[in-house]
Amino acid sequence: MIISGKPTAVLTNTTKGLYCPAGDFYLDPRGSVKRALVTHAHSDHARPGHDIYLCSDPCLPLLRLRLGGKAKMESLPFGERRRIGDACVSFHPAGHILGSAQIKVEVSGKSYVVSGDYKPDKDGTCEEFELVKCHGFVSECTFGLPVYRWKKEEEVFTQINHWWASNAEEGRPSIVFAYSLGKAQRVLSGLDTSNGPILMHPAAHSFLEPYRKAGISLPEAAKVDQAKTGEYAQAIIVAPPAVEESGWTRAFKGCRKSLASGWMTIRGQRRRQNLDRGFVLSDHADWNGLVGVISATEADEVLLTHGNGDALARYLCEKGIRAKVLEKPSGPQEEKEP
Amino acid sequence: MKLFSRLFHDLDAMTKTNERVERLGLYFEQADPNDSIWACWFLAGNRIKGSVKTSELRAFASDRTGLPDWIVSESHERVGDLAETLSLLVEAKVSGTSLSLSQLVEAFIKPMVFMDREERRNCIYRAWDVLGPEDFLPFHKLLTGAFRMGVSKGNLCKALALFGKLEPAFVAQRLTGNWTPETASLDKILNPKRTEESLCLPFPFFLACPIQDTAPDELGSVEDWQVEWKWDGIRAQLIKSGGNVMLWSRGEESVGESFPEIIRAANSIPSDVCLDGEILAWGKNGLRPFSRLQKRLGRKDPGPTIMKREPVRFQAYDLLRLKGKDLREQPLRKRRAKLVETLDKLPNEFPIGLSSVLAEKSWEELAALHRQSRDRGVEGFMLKRRDSTYQSGRVKGGWFKWKVDPLHADMVMVSAQLGHGKRSNLYSDYSLAVWNDRGELVVVAKAYSGLTDKELKEVDRFVRANITGRFGPVRGVRPELVFEVAFEGVRFSGRHKSGVALRFPRIKRRRLDKKPSEADTLETVRNLAGNETSRAEDGTRIDEDGNLLLF
Ligand SMILES: [Zn+2]
Repeated sequence: MIISGKPTAVLTNTTKGLYCPAGDFYLDPRGSVKRALVTHAHSDHARPGHDIYLCSDPCLPLLRLRLGGKAKMESLPFGERRRIGDACVSFHPAGHILGSAQIKVEVSGKSYVVSGDYKPDKDGTCEEFELVKCHGFVSECTFGLPVYRWKKEEEVFTQINHWWASNAEEGRPSIVFAYSLGKAQRVLSGLDTSNGPILMHPAAHSFLEPYRKAGISLPEAAKVDQAKTGEYAQAIIVAPPAVEESGWTRAFKGCRKSLASGWMTIRGQRRRQNLDRGFVLSDHADWNGLVGVISATEADEVLLTHGNGDALARYLCEKGIRAKVLEKPSGPQEEKEP
Repeated sequence: MKLFSRLFHDLDAMTKTNERVERLGLYFEQADPNDSIWACWFLAGNRIKGSVKTSELRAFASDRTGLPDWIVSESHERVGDLAETLSLLVEAKVSGTSLSLSQLVEAFIKPMVFMDREERRNCIYRAWDVLGPEDFLPFHKLLTGAFRMGVSKGNLCKALALFGKLEPAFVAQRLTGNWTPETASLDKILNPKRTEESLCLPFPFFLACPIQDTAPDELGSVEDWQVEWKWDGIRAQLIKSGGNVMLWSRGEESVGESFPEIIRAANSIPSDVCLDGEILAWGKNGLRPFSRLQKRLGRKDPGPTIMKREPVRFQAYDLLRLKGKDLREQPLRKRRAKLVETLDKLPNEFPIGLSSVLAEKSWEELAALHRQSRDRGVEGFMLKRRDSTYQSGRVKGGWFKWKVDPLHADMVMVSAQLGHGKRSNLYSDYSLAVWNDRGELVVVAKAYSGLTDKELKEVDRFVRANITGRFGPVRGVRPELVFEVAFEGVRFSGRHKSGVALRFPRIKRRRLDKKPSEADTLETVRNLAGNETSRAEDGTRIDEDGNLLLF
């Protein structure tokens, strides 16, 4: 067992998150801790309130933007090992968003990888996923059912661009709801600028600069000017899903709405949200991605978190892989990011 | 199939009715009439029965994908729709097919009825080999049925009428009854000349709107309204035409075989007629509870014993055709006079009767009488404007149903299940319980409606954080949330351990102010029902208006 409630284990499962007693640090913790190792800058992984943060180099500017200037932060280049107490840690690209990492923890000859969120499929807006072999693998399983299978991103971008073009022809603004950090930039990277102007909600716009600074090439996108929403008939607007039912969205008269998310695989999801379109675009591994990566790590023990892992765990066990769901120590559950 | 698949996905993406009607009209313009007729038939909600079982489809998908069958079931549960689940699990091999819709039906779906399981499996496999990814979902929908695509029958008729330049009501009548693409053709349906056989088909039913926001006395003078009891039975049209008698339920199923005494009785009506009314359980002392009628439902050619023990009656309240003349455009006042004239001469203990009109002269008197509804075993009143014509579908203003107030009780949620369709990712189907005299919570109802989206999400979050056990798809939930549940009646039932089941339960609101211990008791719920409680048999599906949905 690599993980248990016992203080002698390498990683223990606590109400604040995974804890490494040998190095006295937490991984993606909740609450308030002394040292937090953070896989990536999404708010369900990088939470405020810790004394000192450690993340990957390209994650640092995003983490800074998210948590403000005062928090104490350090970073490591991908692949570089750092000793903390009796443990050794290193960050490896997770292919989820810019700077996202899997964190490898080594203690007395055994290596354990905490995946954070990951996506083995290539995407131009972040570092490519790196497979890390290990003894124990803590894997996300957001899309842990075989109904979730992603198409190539080019196909999805073509769908988005066609949709945008036909809306523009009718003189209707197109709104794509996409999570502000990561998904919004990925959608932007696939847009065909010949269709019309591209606009962004300020929340998503604020992350453009760190992306550009990291050398990711993205089309020009202006910040939405609330006084000019009437002039955006040809435009595509990328905005966070949270503003969907707000006055901000309603200001775009006659607009068509869509959401870019892996959840859009299921038609009922799209209809429930009263959207005109759902684009299946995810920054997580799909079913094949999860099964493929987990098998390839050759881990002796697999723990599933961030999702409904029952089905995946059973499936892996039937394939001879020792997998189980990492039960959350009791406490309120959080909503997943899209 | 390409045209049809594109139609399917376009309809699926559309949110507005008018867009859908227009899109459908475009399909009829483009498609071969042989395909159009199949499209109409499927869109009208029909399926080819006996082609393939859903359990087989799940098994075939499991074989084909190499996924264990339990994960196919689990996926089905998450997605909520089997056709969609199959489309997501099975991978297409080619980009599209040159087969047309009717060719696909003839080559793959129809033959399956006569195949054994192994042959059916091969047949489905072959279909998966030749269909493109866009064809999968429509194809699977054809197999599993429930293929409405947000197109109501009325809108299908509108689209056809638009295409054939006819009146929608006229097309609607052609589309009622038991037609199949083999016996009908688009030409026949859109033929502007009326034929003899269409006289045996029912008219589209005129449906009443509930009185909710409008108080009855806001409807103007009581004199303008014909007030009748709202019967607790099965809505139907009884048609006699040139020696033929047909009895049609509102689901447009021919139900005459189950009620031969009504058919026989119709033969002694002197003229050719189309009557609108209600099939009721009706004994020597008049109306009997609906549960008695259920014993006759779904039983074709009943024997003399059951017919004697469970007699029925067709209670007529409207006359839509008389001696070949369509009366629907005439005001109700005139139709009623003719109805009375036609049925007046019938003997008293006849299986066809005339639904009486209430004589109360003011809304106050009516309101007082309305309070007796539950005791009389009726569901309240029907209010029909005396000058109204007989329209098709639910049109506001002509007919209202003024139903008895529902019963209420506070109940505790004890388990939950993921919903279907729109709610397939939310725990939105709840089992609700009350306290028995041993101090245990016993389930009396399953309900899945009534909360706002926001509340649904909150409850979903609560469920996920408070799961106490797993029983297949059902999650036991810590009994903490109290809901006020409205329902129409109470029946004895073996389905729940409590021994009772509620009729049409729906959630009224969350009782944040109540602790689980303050929920109602089984005793209270039983007493609420009064003398109405009746022993029911499960198995028949009836909607809230008493319309038979499946026969
Ligand atoms: Zn993330």
